[in-house]
Amino acid sequence: MNPEANSDEAREMDLARQKDEAREKIDACADSAALKDVERHYLGRKGIVASALAGIGQLPPDERKDAGQNANRLKQAIQELVDARARVLDETSLAAERSGAGFDPTLPAARLESGSLHPVTQVTRELEDLFLSMGYSVLDGPEVELDHYNFEALNIPADHPARDSHDTFFCTAEGSKDAAEQLVMRTHTSPVQVRAMEQLEPPFRVIAPGRCFRQETTDASHDHTFYQMEGMVVGRDISVGHLIGAMRTLLRGIFKQDLDVRLRPGYFPFVEPGFELDARCPFCEDGCSVCKRTTWIELLPCGLVHPNVLRAGGIDSDIWSGFAFGLGLSRLVMLRYGVDDVRHLFGGDLRFLEQF
Amino acid sequence: MYVSYRWLARHVDLSGIDAHQLADDLTLSTAEVEGVELFAPQLSDVVVGHVVSREAHPDADKLSVCKVDVGGGDGEPLQIVCGAPNVAAGQKVAVATVGTVLPGDFKIKKSKIRNVESRGMICSVRELDIGDEHDGIWVLPTDATAGSTVAEALDILDWAIEIDNKSLTHRPDLWGHRGIAREIAAIHGRELLPLDLRPPETGNAPAFPVHVESDACSRYLGLRVEGARAEPSPDWLRWLLLAVGQRPIDLIVDLSNFVMLDLGQPNHTFDASRLSSEGIRVRNARSSETLTTLDGETRKLAESDLLICSGDDPVALAGIMGGEASKVGEDTSQLLLEVATFDAATVRRTSARLGLRTDSSARFEKCLDPTLPIAAAGHFARLLAAVQPEVRFPAVLTDVGNWRDPALEINLQTERVRTALGADIPDPAIVDILTRLQFDVSRTNDTELRVGVPSARGIKDVTTAQDLIEEVGRIYRYGNIPEQFMQAAVEPPRPDERRELVRRIQDRLSGTARFHELLSYSFIDDDTLTRLGWTDRPHVRVRNPMDQEESRVRRAVLPSLLGDLEANRRARSEIRFFEVGKGYLPEHANDRGEPREVHQLAMLWAAAPDRGGERFDDDRFHQLLGVVEDLFSYLGLPGELVWAVPAEAPSWAHPAQVLATGDGSGEPLALVANLEPGLARAIGLRDELASDVAVAEISIDALLAAPRGVRPFRPVPRYPGVKLDVAIDLPEATPAADLVAVLVEAGKKQVADTELFDVYRGKNVEPGRKSLAYHVLLQSEAKTLSDKDQTKYLARLEKGLTRIDGRLRK
Ligand SMILES: [Zn+2]
Repeated sequence: MNPEANSDEAREMDLARQKDEAREKIDACADSAALKDVERHYLGRKGIVASALAGIGQLPPDERKDAGQNANRLKQAIQELVDARARVLDETSLAAERSGAGFDPTLPAARLESGSLHPVTQVTRELEDLFLSMGYSVLDGPEVELDHYNFEALNIPADHPARDSHDTFFCTAEGSKDAAEQLVMRTHTSPVQVRAMEQLEPPFRVIAPGRCFRQETTDASHDHTFYQMEGMVVGRDISVGHLIGAMRTLLRGIFKQDLDVRLRPGYFPFVEPGFELDARCPFCEDGCSVCKRTTWIELLPCGLVHPNVLRAGGIDSDIWSGFAFGLGLSRLVMLRYGVDDVRHLFGGDLRFLEQF
Repeated sequence: MYVSYRWLARHVDLSGIDAHQLADDLTLSTAEVEGVELFAPQLSDVVVGHVVSREAHPDADKLSVCKVDVGGGDGEPLQIVCGAPNVAAGQKVAVATVGTVLPGDFKIKKSKIRNVESRGMICSVRELDIGDEHDGIWVLPTDATAGSTVAEALDILDWAIEIDNKSLTHRPDLWGHRGIAREIAAIHGRELLPLDLRPPETGNAPAFPVHVESDACSRYLGLRVEGARAEPSPDWLRWLLLAVGQRPIDLIVDLSNFVMLDLGQPNHTFDASRLSSEGIRVRNARSSETLTTLDGETRKLAESDLLICSGDDPVALAGIMGGEASKVGEDTSQLLLEVATFDAATVRRTSARLGLRTDSSARFEKCLDPTLPIAAAGHFARLLAAVQPEVRFPAVLTDVGNWRDPALEINLQTERVRTALGADIPDPAIVDILTRLQFDVSRTNDTELRVGVPSARGIKDVTTAQDLIEEVGRIYRYGNIPEQFMQAAVEPPRPDERRELVRRIQDRLSGTARFHELLSYSFIDDDTLTRLGWTDRPHVRVRNPMDQEESRVRRAVLPSLLGDLEANRRARSEIRFFEVGKGYLPEHANDRGEPREVHQLAMLWAAAPDRGGERFDDDRFHQLLGVVEDLFSYLGLPGELVWAVPAEAPSWAHPAQVLATGDGSGEPLALVANLEPGLARAIGLRDELASDVAVAEISIDALLAAPRGVRPFRPVPRYPGVKLDVAIDLPEATPAADLVAVLVEAGKKQVADTELFDVYRGKNVEPGRKSLAYHVLLQSEAKTLSDKDQTKYLARLEKGLTRIDGRLRK
């Protein structure tokens, strides 16, 4: 036998054997990590193929070429086997992933622990935005108010019987050098009307949301502290028709529907004529607990600004006229969210607040 | 106030207008009607029965067995057992048949009384809830038709219409039926029926002497009455009083009430035989004086109270209530009728001070028309004489005082009516409406009316053209005015910096920071103030609080957040709250006496104590500090705020765990602290509720004053930076901020960020020292930094650290 031929043959055999052995190992790989290991075993920097290539230098020169070729063939063959196996494994794992086993989409959602804005804030903002879009400015006024603004300048002088219905909290300022004027917790947001007239030149449109206070027994629908929003428009030839137009726009903004309204006489000393504006109950057709079975809900006391009030605000009532309204914000919040007890609004109970 | 439908019908023809229609009319044109109720509905349930026979009960002495015909088809009378002594054959009685439900939810059933069957009940006045008498059954007039309802038979079907008193505040003329009827007549264009109100013919005896010594009585009318008997009133009067919720007493009292409820003019009757011969004096009370009023209460009087005196002895609190001493008794036949006009404010003050509100004071405080007393006196006298013709008025009517007729004239531009209402109401319609309301209208020229206002309206609510516009509008009906949109331009809304800032705060905190917004009362309770040691601080104080323990208006918002903490911690292991609100500082009042208003943001983060194993900064304090810094950055405050332990911390703050920042000029911009541990325990956060609580107080006023702006864009780095970690060992007392300064300085403007990631004390760090480990990001805008740059940085850092006694750990 030709020993060279023999040795060639032996190399061929060895190559085939190694390839078979590699195929066996590669096909046994169940996942890509195992495949990576086998790949490294053969093709890595210190793998079998690399060491074979490294050993070539020791061979006699005439054998080097063949040995090199063989080693490269082996490398190529193994690489093909690895790639083929990788494709198979990929298909298999993709199929497994697609099967959806081990994952239950029907389990409940993860809870996002969020914060919240107070419902009064939310409703106030909504109204502010509505009015800002109609050219109204937003004003603020103090909660501790001078008798002058809360009553006197609003055409409710001392001893006026209308004061009775205001259930006023009367205040004393401790530590004040001169208790010049009588202080009260403001009973309505209407004092801002006078403050607005003092600050602004007519014509103007303003709203003033804020807290008000009444010394009255609390129950599910009354709290001694509540939110109101005052509105005032001063201009030339402002009429009851303008008031009706503005109030209907307001109600559309609040209830997102066109509600029937009715205007009936209501007495508030700072407006003349004064009205109560009722809206058709949005919650029922023939009476419910919200409307006390009347199908009307009393929403907005309003009216044309009394000339005395304009004068108290330094505005010439022969040239200017205006309308004013007061909206019960706390009540609106209750209507909006179906809150059954107004005292929740100031209750500070996280279990209430986190719902908004 | 209750108004009777039948009573109104005495003044205006109501045919075609039922009680509900009438209520709607009043609501839409006049005043708010709170409800309409059928008067004594039980009288429409019981029927007239004719007692055909009466026999004694076989087994009971006091019972009778009656056969009662209650009409009906079969004609068979009902057998009813009755216990009343006065039942007799031939009577007409009120019968509750089987199935009827009487007041008190008492249902009549078929029964056997001592073995005798009874199919109904013969009722007493008391059982029907229309009187107190219960000695016997109610005997009806003999002409009542058996079988008809009692209400029909007596013609007393009536409705009580309740009008909201508040909506009558400005309308003294509506505090009687005639006033309301005047409105109905105007609304429907019907005639107000005439009423004879002429003063009575009197004898020539000298007028009863009356001396008015106070301006608070502008008119005093005294009418002597002789021969009046305090007998039960005739039925018509009794039924009308009952319909408006008044219990009939006797003719004198009932007529006095009737005149008040008919015309709105209160009046009072004295037993003339008990009055001093000096006559009546109307004077102010003396400070030590007392008066026992008709209700038996002895009242301490004040000098502002107006008294009616007999000679010098007080006999009535003017306009409010009579005195016990001169009360008209059953045997009284000599009367003095007082009809007067008292000052509204005087009556109101006294009645408010004494807590004594009466039908009379409610009317006087609305400001009554001084022309009304003469009409009321005439009304009383004529009604009395009609019932008791033998009554005489022996003396000339006393009529003293200093009053003027409030009737007036107003010029009204009709165009102004149309402009103000926004409705095109033609002149004739305006004239028609005003005339129907009993204004006397004439024309001055083409564009103007002269409107005569009657005394009843001129006294209070119709004094200007604006008032007349309201009159036209309400009768025209506001619902007929078309909606209009304002055309006139106004300036764009004024920006409100504070409101915008508050909105951004609320958004950031409720959004990114996941806090819940809370609103708490403006009043702060004494317990909280005591715990804070703040009871000595001046507060705006409510003189009439809901609760004596909550009489103070808060100076700061933060303490309000502590109130509900315990309850909330019971419900939740973690609480994140904030509130934006106001506080009041009375010692800083302005020259008008307005206390200074401060606007604050208060925050609170409470949680069950640390679970252990977290990072060094996983505590409420540092988390909250992070929220505050994020908020400030979001609001555009300039970058590097300096936080330092304040010289003086508020009492809610942990004395050692508190930081403040600000421009140093006054109140800090912000304070962040752990809650004072003693305070935490005092509010119930102990044992199983023990909590880590961090709080922050931020001055919105200071925020507004602070420079804020849009933070300019920083270029995205073009070259990769080098991130290196350094651990530095330094004295315990050295603030981390000092180290950061050195870290930054060593970078020669190449330090883009530093972040603390570990704090270590223990092995390899000497006692009294700590090790702080930082990620430092080096970045250059000119080149990619190399290992060499890193080495240079560390060298500079080591040198820099010597200044703060710091050592770079290897
Ligand atoms: Zn309803």
